[in-house]
Amino acid sequence: MSLILRAHVAAAAHDVVSSWPLESFIAVNPLASRESHPFETSATPDATLTRSRDAYLSDYRLGRIDNTDLEAALIERIPAFATSFTVGTSTISAKRVAVLDLTTVEWGSPRPADGTPTWIDEYVAAWVSTYLNPDPLWMMPHSERGLFGAWRHLARHDTALPRRARRKLGGVPSEPDGALAWALNELEIPSQKIVASLREELNRLPGWVGHIKWRADRIGDIDIASYLAVRFVLRAILDISPVHTSGPSDTGSPEPTVWQRAETVTRSLLGSEVTREHIAAIARVLANHPVTEHPYTWQKAYEIHYRAALMPALSATHEVHGRPEMQLVMCIDPRSEGMRRHLECDPGVETFGFAGFFGIPMRFARYRARGSIDSLPALLTARHHITEDPTDMAQTRRLLARARNRDAFRKANHHADSNAATPFAFAEVTGWIFGAASILRTFTPALHARLARALTPALERPDSTVTVADSFSLQDRAAMARTAVRMMGMTGFAPLVVLAGHKSESANNLFESALDCGACGGNPGAANARAAAAIFNDPAVRELLSTGGIDIPADTVFAAAEHNTATDAMTLLDQHLLPRSHDQFVQRFDRLSRTAGDHLLRERANDLPGASRRRSSTPLRARAHDWAEVYPELGLAGNAAMIIGPRRITRGVDLGRRVFLHSYESGEDPDGTALETIMTAPLVVAQWINHQYYFSALNPTTLGAGTKTIHNAVGTIGVLAGGSGDLRRGLPWQSVGCGTELFHEPMRLAVVIQAPLERVGDIVSRNQVLRNLLDNDWITLTARHDSTAVWHRYTRYGWSQAPITTEGRRS
Amino acid sequence: MNNLTKMTRLEVIVPARDAPPIRDLITSAGATGYTSVSGVSGIGHHGQHSGALLFNEYDTLTMLITVLPPDKAGDLIDAVRELLSTSSGVMFVADTYVSRPDYFQ
Repeated sequence: MSLILRAHVAAAAHDVVSSWPLESFIAVNPLASRESHPFETSATPDATLTRSRDAYLSDYRLGRIDNTDLEAALIERIPAFATSFTVGTSTISAKRVAVLDLTTVEWGSPRPADGTPTWIDEYVAAWVSTYLNPDPLWMMPHSERGLFGAWRHLARHDTALPRRARRKLGGVPSEPDGALAWALNELEIPSQKIVASLREELNRLPGWVGHIKWRADRIGDIDIASYLAVRFVLRAILDISPVHTSGPSDTGSPEPTVWQRAETVTRSLLGSEVTREHIAAIARVLANHPVTEHPYTWQKAYEIHYRAALMPALSATHEVHGRPEMQLVMCIDPRSEGMRRHLECDPGVETFGFAGFFGIPMRFARYRARGSIDSLPALLTARHHITEDPTDMAQTRRLLARARNRDAFRKANHHADSNAATPFAFAEVTGWIFGAASILRTFTPALHARLARALTPALERPDSTVTVADSFSLQDRAAMARTAVRMMGMTGFAPLVVLAGHKSESANNLFESALDCGACGGNPGAANARAAAAIFNDPAVRELLSTGGIDIPADTVFAAAEHNTATDAMTLLDQHLLPRSHDQFVQRFDRLSRTAGDHLLRERANDLPGASRRRSSTPLRARAHDWAEVYPELGLAGNAAMIIGPRRITRGVDLGRRVFLHSYESGEDPDGTALETIMTAPLVVAQWINHQYYFSALNPTTLGAGTKTIHNAVGTIGVLAGGSGDLRRGLPWQSVGCGTELFHEPMRLAVVIQAPLERVGDIVSRNQVLRNLLDNDWITLTARHDSTAVWHRYTRYGWSQAPITTEGRRS
Repeated sequence: MNNLTKMTRLEVIVPARDAPPIRDLITSAGATGYTSVSGVSGIGHHGQHSGALLFNEYDTLTMLITVLPPDKAGDLIDAVRELLSTSSGVMFVADTYVSRPDYFQ
């Protein structure tokens, strides 16, 4: 392929957003490639950006959006609406006119394009799926030739293709580059239309294409060019021209003219004494706000209403006086907010929010484990490998032998089950055992889980330490500890400091990793918490920290823990490393976390479909083991805001598990580097998560994964809805809705920062990623210097005092 | 010039996320290598760019530098220009001189 054609392929694939595999599901903004453009211009054939008019009107009737919100949204979008004008003898406020128009005029709700797969889509999807399936019953022959090479070789015998097409395939160049050039020539696509044509073809199976892009960057066994070569060669040999996708947002009904809208509004305002001059005056106002902009004004009002309730809640400050008895550092994940709030019911507990990978980007493998996980944000590349060093070799050998036996047994079962010759005999011999286990698992999932744990001691982990000192130099470890302390604004240390990662435990859940820690690359955060605790407990690290002014008292011990967000159980890890002197603190932590977990579980039961807070916590916890449960937990549903500031402004406030909380003390960060790190990493990841939920809620069939109940897994790559077709992107419907109703409120992330405005502004100015997000309305930013200062909104023209409507409003 | 051999040097500055296709073009053009500088800072068409970020390699700028014989450079220049016509980034092209031409053939 010529370099130009290669450049065309790269240009066509530029806007494709990589899609991570299920085993390390990373939430991404599916429209990330549009972030350099205004939000309102970013609709695509498969994506709508707002809810329907009926949904907004329903919220308006329920008071979820009110006139104050609509007026604030109008002025924010079109400042001219802050004025008044004269109609006849009356002076009328422009925003009032616009609100009347908003609530009366009808507009067709945008709908994503149908996206019905064509025969070619189904055919290509089947080949790609076969080629990439990591655990097939039969290995695909010739897969070593790559996707195009294997397909070209095998398709000559594929009776799904007409004989003439198969004969033609013999004359196609064997390399994907040459084949794509040949096909484009055969299809007579002019050079100026090649990029558009390639892009159209990539849009046909966006799920598979997103995964291929991820795979090309990370694994390298497939690339976009070979995929396009298959599609275009197929079209060429079948003589089918490339298709052109229909445009987005066909609203169905014609929009009313501005004159019609003005007439309606004027009659509503002035009754029957309406003249053409009156209508013309109103029409001049409404012309500033065409119907096409109405959905975005409604959406903004919807978001303003939430912010209006949030901001006043941050007015009080709740200090922890004296040295706390214990401190807990948890991930910024909104689910941590609930646990922190309940733990802080004890005045001796202080909590902090920090990215759940604790600032340690690492690839982690358990002791002698086959695989490893990249436990770090998707914004980073894993360069440091960490494993475990057993502290008791006799115990380790014993557990390892059991684990190997168990592994061999499972492998033998899998082979017998999946081999073409043995499934019937296997079922005859072992069916009664597995049948009984299935009945037990179905009707008493908690008992089954307990029995499974008792019967499989191989699941026990040997006592060990993590080899963090082998992978990071002392200087690096001290720098990581210093960065973490500075980013959180920690100024004192309790006798026990618990660093708690999080994971989610659920059975039969293909999207389990979507519920794990996003900052750890969709993995459980325990390994990072253990590594961070090891660093902070290292006397050499403490000595270096001390020379930099961070004095950690000798009686302070850092402990790693893990929060299971499905059961709200907190488990202290590496307890063999904790000194006996701290037994009382450990026991107290166990008691407090058990109580907090119970309270949080009951609180969550209010929202969890099919749960009741009146029942005991046992059945609520059992949901994690129930293989028929499609709602083991609600994950980050409801996420709406991120607060970067000291915990004292949110302590004691029920934020409803909807807010990412990153601790920050501007006084401990005089040059702003810590804030810049927070704003360019945790904030960006939070925005990805927020938009993943946003678009999965608004476009469940195109940008979401649809309902779980018909999902079929393709290995650990992804899911199909049914048995074939495109790989599904985004979150399943059960992450955002129940029945036909959404429980996730789709709102763009409202970022709230307590720090000097000049510092925040400077950071935004020098980081394009932030400029894109803020100037193009993908997120909002409100900030204040300190607890006594007035909130200011970031606008592309500078800071402006937050509208009065965001202060003192009812919730 | 002092027995040095004339070559063409390309410097391409793009967002880190867009660097892989540029690297692919460079190697496909027959260049024997390239240098990649991550966390490039400065001010340009899109405003100010911070340098290396502590926890974000994805949203920083990367500069890719390659040197190749002038007869191989034309196609690469055309291809990079084509790619940059639809995405952000800049390319600088200059004559350069090397002491070990066999390294770049």
